[in-house]
Amino acid sequence: MAASGEPQRTLRRIPRTPVVKKERKNQLPYALAVVGLVVAIGYYLAAGLGAPKSAFVWIVGVALGLTLQRSRFCFTASMRDPVLTGGTNLTKAVVVGLAVSTVGFSALQLGAYFKAGQLADAMKLSSLDPVGLHTVVGGVLFGIGAVIAGGCASGTLMRMGEGFLQQWIVLPFFVAGSLIGAATWPLWKVALLVRTDSGVYLPKALGGFVPALLVQFGMLLALWVAADWWGKRGRT
Amino acid sequence: MQLDHALRDREPADAPTTAATAARVRWRDHETFKTLFVNPWTYTTGAVVLALLNVALMAATGKAWGVTTSVTYWGAWIWRSLSGDPHAWPYFAEVKPAFNAPGFSFWNDAGSLTNLGMVVGALLAALGANQFRVKKLKSRRQIGAAMLGGLLMGFGARLAFGCNIGDLFSGLPALSLHGWVFLVSIFLGAAAGSKLLVRYFI
Amino acid sequence: MGLSVTERTLDCLGEACPVPLIRTQRALQELAIGDVLIVQIDHSCAMKNLPEWAEKAGHNFEIEEVGDGQWDIVIEKAC
Repeated sequence: MAASGEPQRTLRRIPRTPVVKKERKNQLPYALAVVGLVVAIGYYLAAGLGAPKSAFVWIVGVALGLTLQRSRFCFTASMRDPVLTGGTNLTKAVVVGLAVSTVGFSALQLGAYFKAGQLADAMKLSSLDPVGLHTVVGGVLFGIGAVIAGGCASGTLMRMGEGFLQQWIVLPFFVAGSLIGAATWPLWKVALLVRTDSGVYLPKALGGFVPALLVQFGMLLALWVAADWWGKRGRT
Repeated sequence: MQLDHALRDREPADAPTTAATAARVRWRDHETFKTLFVNPWTYTTGAVVLALLNVALMAATGKAWGVTTSVTYWGAWIWRSLSGDPHAWPYFAEVKPAFNAPGFSFWNDAGSLTNLGMVVGALLAALGANQFRVKKLKSRRQIGAAMLGGLLMGFGARLAFGCNIGDLFSGLPALSLHGWVFLVSIFLGAAAGSKLLVRYFI
Repeated sequence: MGLSVTERTLDCLGEACPVPLIRTQRALQELAIGDVLIVQIDHSCAMKNLPEWAEKAGHNFEIEEVGDGQWDIVIEKAC
């Protein structure tokens, strides 16, 4: 079943005791039922609540989950594997994803900027969040938690849909941890020196979109090259 | 390449017994169906599609993809149903004022919709490939790992104002410095987590 | 005459990433060249990252779907 153009190779099958195949259940009816559910919820949002934009967001969410599962995408593994196995295929893919998103987001931001003439309008589309010591502490804690739990934020949701009971346990604790974080805000706001106006928008900080994009793509390229080199070196 | 060959599903379905099942089997074996719905996509394909979806989300709503803010809202709504008063918390007033907007609820929160959508989408993908299976826990250690990991992720995401999606996959491409800082931090955390995992949870 | 090839089966059903991979790496270290390791998994990530690692490490491998969401990764130690 080789694709056309590929040389015909007969791979010698590895000798093993014959596998006992399990009975396969036809899951297609369930798949169709879920499609029905997706459509029903979309309809409820668009028509019942009169919010077609919400229906669009819902479909995007479904598409995100579908894509994550179909490509076995795992951000956790992209961070973890370089250390654990020396593999960087996922890391490189994440960098590619970041580059494509940068192009898209910058296009939107530039559009807003040219329309209004103000950098502030572009900044609104920038997911700007405070940055500081708390980002580092939070990121480290998150990274530890993601590897231990067997999946990050998107990974947890994806695996819940795939049937991993472990992730169904992760979720309530994820919720609890978030709530505790929100509840203790007055404490760590002070302890970790958070300033809600500390967001740094690269075009503003570096003097324009051109330097910002040069730096951004430069760093992404450097990351990709580093990951590529790391993945090629030695065998684990 | 050996990997490509191995990942491509080579098994024909079992011998059909009736004309109807024969028709269904032939359709399922079709290469295009398999490429789209059964064989896994490449990581790069996944990354590009995810990126495009994120851009679409930003274009349509003005806000990029994010997971953990809505998870916090879910916790707050649950807390409210347990007679708590999260609306009075400084956190929501100072950091997430949208939470206190009149009429704000699950069904008009974009993040909640995408989160739920992700669960359903993954389920759909697995079912479509006939690969859905409930994975029960194998050992007690997994419960501890799930609990600890979940707590750390939830708390860490609040501190960092986001997670691998909100900060990394959305913040970084949107040219915000916190995305880059988060990238370095999560990498360090994952490295530390790997050591802990190997030592205590395997 | 007697089998000179050892075949070992590793049951990794229900295990979360990256446990199947780590156990596979350890198990292969104990086998000799030519031995066969069969890793039973039901984790969709593992059905990709185990073969990827095996290829990188230079072993021969095959993926067999043995049930709904269940795979056998058959690895023949080659180096």
